[in-house]
Order: sequence, then structure tokens, then C-alpha cells
Amino acid sequence: MERETVISAKHLKKAFGKGESRQVIYSDLDIDIYKGDFTVIMGSSGAGKSTLMYSLSGMDKPDGGEIHFDGTDITKLNNDKLAVFRRKECGFVFQQIYLIDKMNLMDNVITAGVLTSKNRGDIKNRAKELFSLVNIPEKTWKKTSAQISGGEAQRAGIVRAVINQPNVLFADEPTGALNSANSAAVLDVFTSLHDKGQSIVMVTHDKKSALRGNRILYIKDGKIFGECDLGKFEQDNTERTEKLDQFIKEMGW
Amino acid sequence: MVRLKKLSTLILHNLNKAKGQYLSFGVFICLTAFIINIALVLAFQTFDAYDDLFDKLDTADINFIIPRMQDHDNLLAEVEETDGVSFVEKHEGVFTPVTVREFADSDFDMNTVFYNIDEERTLNLPDVNKSSNQRDSSVYIPMYMKELGGFTEGGSITYSIDGKEHTYHIDGTVQEMQYGNYGTGLIGSYFPKEVYEKFADEYSGSVITEYSIKTTENADLGKMKNEIAKMIKEKGIALLSINDRAASKQTRTMVCTLLIVIFLAIAAIILVVSIFLSNFRIRSAIEDELAQMGVLKAIGYTSNMIIAGAVMPYVLVGMIAAVIGVAASYAVLPSVAGILAIQSGFSYAPVFDIMAMLIIVPVLTLAILLFSYLSARKIYRLEPINAIRGVVGEESTGQNILLFIVAFGIMVLLSFAGTLLYNVNVKPDNFMNTLSEELPSVIFTAENEKMAELKEVLEKDSRVKLFMEYASVPVSYTDGSLTAFVCEDFSKVTNDICYEGSSPAGDNEIAVGNALADDYPIGSEIEITVGSQTEDYIVTGYIQSVNNAGAVCQLTGKGYEKIGEKTNSVNVYLPDKNAASFIKEYEENYDTVVKASVNFEQMSENGQKMYAGIVSVIVIILFVISVLMVLLVMYVIINGVISRRRQEFGIYKAIGYTNRQLTIKTALELIPVVAVASVISAIAGLWYLPAINNVIFSLIGAIKNQFEVSAFILIAFALVFTGTAFGISVLLSAPIKKITAYSLLKD
Repeated sequence: MERETVISAKHLKKAFGKGESRQVIYSDLDIDIYKGDFTVIMGSSGAGKSTLMYSLSGMDKPDGGEIHFDGTDITKLNNDKLAVFRRKECGFVFQQIYLIDKMNLMDNVITAGVLTSKNRGDIKNRAKELFSLVNIPEKTWKKTSAQISGGEAQRAGIVRAVINQPNVLFADEPTGALNSANSAAVLDVFTSLHDKGQSIVMVTHDKKSALRGNRILYIKDGKIFGECDLGKFEQDNTERTEKLDQFIKEMGW
Repeated sequence: MVRLKKLSTLILHNLNKAKGQYLSFGVFICLTAFIINIALVLAFQTFDAYDDLFDKLDTADINFIIPRMQDHDNLLAEVEETDGVSFVEKHEGVFTPVTVREFADSDFDMNTVFYNIDEERTLNLPDVNKSSNQRDSSVYIPMYMKELGGFTEGGSITYSIDGKEHTYHIDGTVQEMQYGNYGTGLIGSYFPKEVYEKFADEYSGSVITEYSIKTTENADLGKMKNEIAKMIKEKGIALLSINDRAASKQTRTMVCTLLIVIFLAIAAIILVVSIFLSNFRIRSAIEDELAQMGVLKAIGYTSNMIIAGAVMPYVLVGMIAAVIGVAASYAVLPSVAGILAIQSGFSYAPVFDIMAMLIIVPVLTLAILLFSYLSARKIYRLEPINAIRGVVGEESTGQNILLFIVAFGIMVLLSFAGTLLYNVNVKPDNFMNTLSEELPSVIFTAENEKMAELKEVLEKDSRVKLFMEYASVPVSYTDGSLTAFVCEDFSKVTNDICYEGSSPAGDNEIAVGNALADDYPIGSEIEITVGSQTEDYIVTGYIQSVNNAGAVCQLTGKGYEKIGEKTNSVNVYLPDKNAASFIKEYEENYDTVVKASVNFEQMSENGQKMYAGIVSVIVIILFVISVLMVLLVMYVIINGVISRRRQEFGIYKAIGYTNRQLTIKTALELIPVVAVASVISAIAGLWYLPAINNVIFSLIGAIKNQFEVSAFILIAFALVFTGTAFGISVLLSAPIKKITAYSLLKD
């Protein structure tokens, strides 16, 4: 069956620095992201996983190439149009969470929600549903990020990321700053969202996190070096785990 | 266009998270609006109130006074036929120099016209405030004398005229707009009919006719005044006084103009500091909250939206603070107007001025919007991914630059205030010399034949530091009347009021006032007349005069004698302040020589007291503003330092630094910039303060001010300022105590 492509990037180029300190991250990278997939991008440190993800999401501009997001070449958009694109099409979850300091969780979510909806009541109602989905109790909604655990904060970060019902949810090492219990809770939220049809692109070097995806891409030497189809996530499915182990071993991780 | 409704959460959050910062910014703007509103209300209402009262009292546009004995029937018709004249009315009065006894505990010399208050008139109506009706010995004194001289309704006043004392019961005060205060060179007082007639009989030789002229619309007052003066002169009539509404207004609103300029200058400095403060705060916020701004960009906020989120709190706070500042200023405006009434001789009650508010609030708001937008523009260049990763294009927040500018600016205020204070209170002669002519201790008047004897006595008196023949006499020139300062030798004068060229030395020389400077270049000739005698003099220089609207001149004694009688007064300068006992002794021992005496020392002190009162208000305002500014700026900076360096302070604490050490360390880090800025400002003050003083005082006619700028005072202020800034910094750094090493783990 033909899969629907949501992002299609061709001949991507990206380098940092100038002169002798210039470091080429990728010089001719092609990648497709499919609708409904939970795509995981893996690779060694400095391979350019996050750089690629931020390019695909319009957060960063590649030095060359095209990125078609739902048919629009986002490399041609100016900064303001990119901002409008991101608010409608993308959601972001960061390793450092980055909830706005001193702003309570509900307001953090509303701050994103007001960008696409005129009705604050609707935003609040949807936020409440999502808070329930990610298991954040009502008494916590009025707390700031400094008053809750890292896991709760990251789950609130996910709520903020999906409040506008993005086409693709991007996550950059979402469990990188969390302990194992909190990590599991956060990953469960991702799985739950994926089960509801949410397209997700996650960058990680954590195998447990990667197992939640159905499609694993490995980036190396500035290219998509390998790809692995893990199929739908199932808890305690050792076959998937072994398949992932085998894959990353082959990739030279 | 950014839709603010979408941003309300962000704006409220920004406001809430830095309440203290916005509060301090609001206080600055409030203060700015407060001061600007005082200046604008004074500017809009004082001059209008003057004009309103002028119109209400049907005051003539031009008044001139001639001896009644020279007033001929056909003169009225000729004046009426002069171009631009719409209506002329004649009034009778007695014009005489008087010494007012006990005028603010001193004697006060003033040319005065006594009018009959019951005379029917349609022009120059006096606004009388009667307290009683003791017709037989009543007088109605002008408000200026009541306010400055300390006379009260129901009390008494004594005039000394040619050595004879006349005491009257003060039945009330009058406001009149044609003369009104000392600066106009003439003051009007009013008697009831019976008292006036008796007085006029006694001084029949001094009875005058006042021609009060209403001009047509758009008439050129200066030109008309000149034409009338010329016509009077051609007829051989002595022109005792001529004035016009513009000159009187300028003289009577002199202090008001000065206050407006000073207030606007202060407000400008505070505004600049406020703008730097908001600029600094926004730039700091961008650096401190870089990641959060990146996140906002990531979730779809455009640069304009984020900028609006950063700028709008300042705009909102600024707008509200400006309205509060404007409203608060009305609490002090009546007092300010009261102080002005002392000098201007007329009173009015300031009312709410919508125009001032409509200027201040939008202008301040737009200035805040513009400058905070310029500071926040950096957000445009912020790539979301770089912001999240903490990569900033420029590193410096300009903290030191802000501190330098603020410290420099505050030192400008302090230096100005300190110099004003020094020259009014410590060296009052500097201030009085700027505003007046000679400041002798005593003025003696002798009969002409006794002058030589008086000078001989003074020569032998070891207590006398200096004496010289000096007098102020009315003269006229082609275009009007002048007050001439006649001195036997201008090289002896103690107050050099000549700001360009030189005072006259020969009997054919003259120095003219600033009002004549444009028409009479140095080296040109000017025709001066006294009575029927006319003489040409060569202009040698220009002199300044705050009073008389600059219509003054200097003539040597010999030069004046070509056209007038030899003057008969002597300025006596004593090294110590004992004029009263000196006068008493001379009046007792030399009563045949001394015809009249004036305690000028006391008069100067009274004048100084009045100005010292006004200056004290300005200085107190400046000091309060300076301390507030130091406090608020330091608060903003230290708050930012503590917030940015929490981790560093936590580490210091972990390795054993005490709160006291960290507090002092933080304060000390800021002080070098303050010290350098204030010392540089103090040293630069030696140059810029004379320039500032020149600009301010030239507005009221004192082209050359005599202010002394003391390097010692400036450096002392710089040190006190630096010390105060350090003390305030230590106090404001106290929140460092709240930082714990443990809290950093949680962060």
C-alpha cells in the first residue's frame, strides 16, 4: 500500500562554522516522513540528528535542498511564514522541556493554543482533556514548572506541543533529562498519541525510547545510513527489541 | 498587525514575572510626567492667565507717563491719530520715587505711581480686594508688595518721599497688569479719592498724566512705542515712563519661564534615563530568556508577536504611570503657582489641562514604544534553534554603559543643583549680581552741594571698603525710555554687567542694554534725552538686565551731566553686614549731609530670600529625583545581576563565602563605573555647567551669568553620590541572602 508522505526532503545540505573550523553535517541528504508514523531518528553524538529534525520542522534553515511539508517547500518561507507554518503544522517537545518560567501549566498551554484558536474556552477544554490524557491532575494545572517533577513538566510540554493538533509532533530527546519512571510515563504519552494517529518524529539515542517508534532511521556520515521497520509498539515484545538491537549493531553504534 | 488579544497571556505573564522592574520603570515615567505636566501647565496657563487678567482688567497695550504740567490738550488727539491706536484714555496720578519702610524688614526703593481708585476709568482697571473701608488714611497696595514685602490687609505701610514719611492703613490689595512688579521699573498703588486728592496737593509737582492706549489688532507694539516716544520727545515733553504689554509680561513671568525651562530639562534627563532603563531591561530579558523566546518562536509566535509581548508591558505601565504622574502634579501645582505669584505679582489657580495631558501621555507612550521596540528588535535576528541552544549574536547587555550614562546624567542634575545652591546660599552675590546691577550695602542720597562733604566723610571712614557715585535715572532715546545707570567711574563697579564690549569711560560713551543690542552696534551713535536736553553718545558695549526688559544703559557721571542734573546718590560698600547700624550712625551724626538712605544690604537679602525659596524648591526636587533615580536604576541592575548570577552566588556560598562578602562584592563591582562616570561628569561640569547656566539665564535676559562653578563642590558631590550609590547597592544586594547552594540543585 502506498504510504502518504508528510515530509519529503531532498538534497539537504547543512554545515556549521567557516573556514578551517567548518563542519559539514550533511551534504546531500534525502528523507521522507510518512503520515501516521512514529519515526525515530538515531545516530551517534554529533551525527546531526537534532539538526535534521529542526530543519524538517522549519526551526532551522538548511544551507541547501528542498523540504516539502505537506506539499509546501518550507525552505522558501520567510521567518514569519515559518512561524505561522510551525504553529499550524508542528508541535515540539524539547529535552530541556522549556516551559515558560513562572507561568503555570495551563497558561503555558494556552499561550500556544491562542495562536490557532480564537476561543479561549475551547482551548481550555482541549487542554483539560490533554492534561487528563497525560495524567496531570487538575490541582497541578495552576503550578509552575519549578513546582512539579520533571516528568510532569515534560508531559505538560507534550500537551503544549499538541494543543494545536499539529500535523507532526517533533521530539528532541524527550526523556533525556528524566529518570526512568518519568521517562516511561512520558513515552507512554507518545505511544498513546501515536495510537490516536499522531505523526511523530523523535530524535533519541535511547533504545527504550526508540522502541516506541515503528520506523527507525539511522543517520551517519551525513546520510540516512539505514532504516528499520519495527512495526507497531507492543509492551514486552522481545522480538522488536532484538530487531532494534540487531539494527543498531549493524549501523555500527 | 499583531493582535494583542492573542498576546494577553504572554503580556500579563511578562508583567507579572518582573513586577519590581516594571514598578521602578513606572516610577520613573510617573516622575517624568509629573514634572513635564508642571512645566506644561505653567507654560499653558500662566501666560494665558496673565492675558486673561490683562483682558479682564481692560489693560492698555501701551502706557506712557508724562508730567501733567506738560500735558497739552492737543496731545490726546495726536496720540489718537497715531497708526495702530484704537482707543486712548488719560489717567491722573502722582509719580514719585518712594522708599517703602519695613518692606520685608527693610527699606525698598521703587518708582511708584499713586492713583485715585475712585477715578472713573475704562482701561487699566485695578482688581481690588478690599478688606475694610477706612477712607481717611487708606491705601490699596499691589499684590507684589503684599507677597514679597510681607504686608497684610488691615496693617499699615509707610512711604518715605523726599525724607517725609507717610503712613497709611492697608485697606486691601490690587492686581493690575500694566506694571505690577519690581522688574517693570514702576509699581502702582491706589488711594481712595479723599486721600489721593490730599496727596496730589502735597506733591503737585509730581502729578502726571498716564496715557493708556489700546491698539488695533496686529499692531506692532514695538514700532508704535517708538513712534509715540519720538513724538513726545519732539514736543519737548519729558517721558517719565513708557511700557508695553509684551515687555511687562516678559518681566513678570520671568521666574515662570525659568522654572519651565528647568523642569523640562530635568524631565528630559529622567526620560532619557527611563528609556535607557527599559532598553537595558529588554536587552537583559532577551539574554536571560533566550531559550524561552526560542520556544515561543518554535511553537509559532512570530518575531513581531514576541516583540509586542516584550514591549507592551512597558507601554502599558508607561501609559498608566504617565496618567498618574500628570494627576499627581495637580497636588503641587497650586503651591508652585503661589511661589510664582511672589515674583509675578498676580495670582491664578492652575486647573486641569487636557491639552498638557494629551501631549504628555501620547508623547511618553510613543517614546517608550519606539525605544523599547528598538531594543527588542534583536528578537528579529533570533533564530529559534539558536535561541534554544543559547547562541546569541551579541553578548553585552550594556549594563556598564547604562550605569555610566545614568551616573553621568544624575551627576549633571546634582552638579546643576549644587551649583545653584552654592551660588544662591553660599555665594549669594553671584546669583544676585546675575539678576541685578550693583549690590552696595547702603545707598546715601545727599543734597547736591553736600555731595563732596559726604564723600569726604566716607573717604575717612575706615569701615567703608568702597564708595562711588551711582544712580539709576530715567532717560529716553529715539524709540522709548531707558533706565540709565550713572556712575562716576565704571572701573570701580563691583558687578560687571557688561557682556560684550566695555562700559563707558568717557563722557561721550554709553553701554546699552540687551534690548537695544540689535539696533545699536558697538561704535554706532545713540541719541539720549533728558527733558529737553539731547546728546549723542557712542556705544561701547552691551549690558544685561533681567529687569526693565533689557531697556537700560550705562552713562558716566560726566556724560549724564551733559543732559541731566548731577546725580546725588552714593553707593557705599561695607566689608561686613552691618548696614543698619551704619545708616543709623550716619543719619544721627551727618543728618545735615545725608538726605536719605537705603539699606540695600537688607533689600538684597530680601530678594535673595525670595529666590532662595524658589531655588530651594528646585534643589529639593532635584535631590529627591537623583536619589530616586539611583535607587531605581540600581534596583534594576542589581536585580538583573542577582537573577543572572544565581548559580555563581550559590557556588560562592558552597565554598564558604558569607552573605556579607557577596553583598559587598556585588555592590563594589558596580561602583567603579559610577565613580568614573560621576568624576568625569564633575570635571566636565566645569565646562558644561556654565553653558547650561548661560542657556537658562539668557532666557530671562542675563546673558552673562556670574555663577561660580566650584570644582571642589562638584568633586565633593561626585564622592557623596558614589558613596550613596554604594550604600544603596549594598542594601539592594540583600536578596543574595536568599540564594542557597541547595536551591541551585533544584534549579
